[in-house]
Amino acid sequence: MKQLLIQYRYRLSTFLVLVVLILSGTWLYSLTLAKTAFASGTLLLTCILILAAYQWRKKLSFLALGNATAWLQFHIFVGWLSCVLFLLHIGFHVPDGLLEFALFLTYSFVFLSGVLGWLLSRIIPYRLLSRGEQVIYERIPVHRRKIQETVEKLVSDSLKSEEGTAVADFYHKHLEDYFAGSRNQVRHILHSRRHRHQLAQRVVDLQTFLNEREQETMRQIADQIQLKDDLDYQQSLQSVLKFWLFVHVPLTYTLILFALFHTITVCAFASTSG
Amino acid sequence: MSEPSVSRPRRWDKPFSLEAGSEQEMTDAGVEELLQQPPFSEIDASGFKRSLPLHDILKNDARIVGFDEGDIIVRRGDWGNSAFFVLSGTVRVELERGESSLPDEILGRRRSRVKSLWESIAQLWRNHREPEVRAVAEVSGSSPPLQTRMTRGRTRIYLQEVSAVLDKYRTARLEAGHWFGELAALGRTSRVATVFSEGVSQLLEIRWQGIRDILRHDASGGLKRYIEDAFRERALAAFLRTDPLFQGCSTELMQRIVDQVEFQTFGNYDSSKPFKELNSNPEQNLESGEPVIIHEGEVPRGIIMIRSGLARITQQYYQGRRTIGYLSPGQIFGLDEIRTSINSSSPLPCQTQLSAIGHLNAVLVPAELVAEILQQQMTTQNGSEQSKESPARQTVKIQDEALLSQLIDRNYVEGTSLMVIDLDRCTRCDDCVRACATAHDNNPRFIRHGPVLNQFMVPSACLHCVDPVCMIECPTGAIFRDLGQGDIVINDQTCIGCAQCASNCPFDAIRMVDIRDASGDLIVDSKTRAPLTQATKCDLCIDQRGGPACESACPHDALFRVDMQDAARVEEVFAR
Repeated sequence: MKQLLIQYRYRLSTFLVLVVLILSGTWLYSLTLAKTAFASGTLLLTCILILAAYQWRKKLSFLALGNATAWLQFHIFVGWLSCVLFLLHIGFHVPDGLLEFALFLTYSFVFLSGVLGWLLSRIIPYRLLSRGEQVIYERIPVHRRKIQETVEKLVSDSLKSEEGTAVADFYHKHLEDYFAGSRNQVRHILHSRRHRHQLAQRVVDLQTFLNEREQETMRQIADQIQLKDDLDYQQSLQSVLKFWLFVHVPLTYTLILFALFHTITVCAFASTSG
Repeated sequence: MSEPSVSRPRRWDKPFSLEAGSEQEMTDAGVEELLQQPPFSEIDASGFKRSLPLHDILKNDARIVGFDEGDIIVRRGDWGNSAFFVLSGTVRVELERGESSLPDEILGRRRSRVKSLWESIAQLWRNHREPEVRAVAEVSGSSPPLQTRMTRGRTRIYLQEVSAVLDKYRTARLEAGHWFGELAALGRTSRVATVFSEGVSQLLEIRWQGIRDILRHDASGGLKRYIEDAFRERALAAFLRTDPLFQGCSTELMQRIVDQVEFQTFGNYDSSKPFKELNSNPEQNLESGEPVIIHEGEVPRGIIMIRSGLARITQQYYQGRRTIGYLSPGQIFGLDEIRTSINSSSPLPCQTQLSAIGHLNAVLVPAELVAEILQQQMTTQNGSEQSKESPARQTVKIQDEALLSQLIDRNYVEGTSLMVIDLDRCTRCDDCVRACATAHDNNPRFIRHGPVLNQFMVPSACLHCVDPVCMIECPTGAIFRDLGQGDIVINDQTCIGCAQCASNCPFDAIRMVDIRDASGDLIVDSKTRAPLTQATKCDLCIDQRGGPACESACPHDALFRVDMQDAARVEEVFAR
């Protein structure tokens, strides 16, 4: 932990030194009356290409290119640096041209989705460990199906015993849809347990009207409700961790295309634009 | 309907001499003849049980094997199941240990070759889409590599030109009346030398179960003395000097230590049974399953140095015992007590208890000699520096005793490359599995799922055990320890799919898979038409340039490999 703190401090100091250097370099360069946008733009494009290279490092994991942890730290570092360069490049105001505005929006989304992903990757693992069995994402539907089958068997057994239809009625009214698939995803992401509490309350309310055997069945169903809820929780949070990349990565490639087009345009009209 | 009934199989239903490769069946007359000559004539047969007489042990657990010129009898690095006694002829023991020793290719091993840069990159598109693809030529044995021939009903690897090998490599000659291979067979270690036949030779091979029983019941202790003397003479001094305590010893003192050291053995030797029992019932340990080496409160007679196996250190805690550390081969117990005793008037009893996990071999160095070493060190100028403990020597401890206890109970402490995932950091991105698949022709060699101890998950991946019981019964030596790194790998060319390794592995880290050709069709046995299977497991990306791909692919530093024998590393990674 102490070593981690030292690493964080070291990274932060390096970042601050670099920011100061960039700002003073820009100021000194502006004294020559040259356009600083060329310099900041070139640096920004380089940063964006370096950031995109992380995706390729992931594909070449079998080569001795340094470990992915170091690459990710560098990726985050360069990401923050690119934000400073971006703000300098746009002169701290929203551009008004159509392409420039699209570029501004794309960069902003890429940057914000990156920051969000970084935060999620720090927060969600702790939460995943706090509830339920650690199930591989692709196998969650199989586990859910097993739970559903268990509950359906309990319900059909209760019908066979000819002691009434209370359990079956409750299942059809409140649980059939619940066990049919992933539910309460937004609530899980927001860490709300309200739905679980409500279901548990309904089970408790019913218990007073059941005989001993039916009560036992309901207790077993309640256990399965809990298991299913934990599984949904795992799926919801793991989905978030997986799918933010589906926003971040395609937007990055879009950004690179826009940025290259922007660079070509700027270079082409450099002489006329002064 | 009646149940099918068969008589219960017994130990000697199939004598060793009836297994493939034996020269001839062991007859009563042959055994009598053996018993007339040393060292068997020196064994006291009266101590043996009536149900387990010496005569029957030799008849059923021993066999006579013949070798032709150049036949390799044992290979350096292979797992030892048996010991050999030279009956006639001469064998040669290779004495070299480094690069100048016999190369892997002529010993029939797969050549460990790291892929070139181009081959590594080409994996991105050259990997097969079908699972578990093998080259048919390799599986069918029609590819060229091994120098094998049929010798007396058994396929053997041989050296083509013995005279050239003798000229090039340093060897020693063993003639009739000599034993070899007994230390590896009984110490659960790999063979330390390659032995091949010089001319025609005849050997008596005894499987370790037989040697074990002779050692147990021989009242005169002739064979035991022989084996202990052999270890004392050949390896003890070098073993002791692996610890800094003995490194500064004078030759005279070391000789006295070698002469006075006691050998100790604890626990059940039988195959993987103790480990499997521990894994199936982690609660059952300590008092019931683990023999005590030194009790808490007992004055140590000397220091215990572990030769093979693992030992648990515990302390009384209310009505039970609390695990506070463990020892692995080369580590020492009892030194602190003896060191403290030197400066005090009365001997200091042990503050902790030491017990054996599974099977354990240890040496006991008498306290007087240890005191002499310590006093010598104290009088020398740099004594204080010498007495410092190296990280490898320290007892492995973790601050979280519950976690430590679980790691020992589940036997994960066996791992020299245990895969651990810190779930507090793991984002379940599966980059590790993808990297593993890319490095293994699109077949991941581990499953990212397993028991969770605190926040640490131990996935289903090979641990590369310090005592790899998976290797014990492999009939072809296809699963072996890589001599360079010590990793345990499987040679696809010689794996016959018998599944012995998979069933022996206590961690279910070896999987049997149906193999396919490049077009995706299952490769089947030409006679039975049944699909051929082979064992697969993590090989730590032995042929990849970047080392284990899983570890380097993890962007969140969540997946790490840990050598559980390395005290400093264990402490560091589990304290994060």
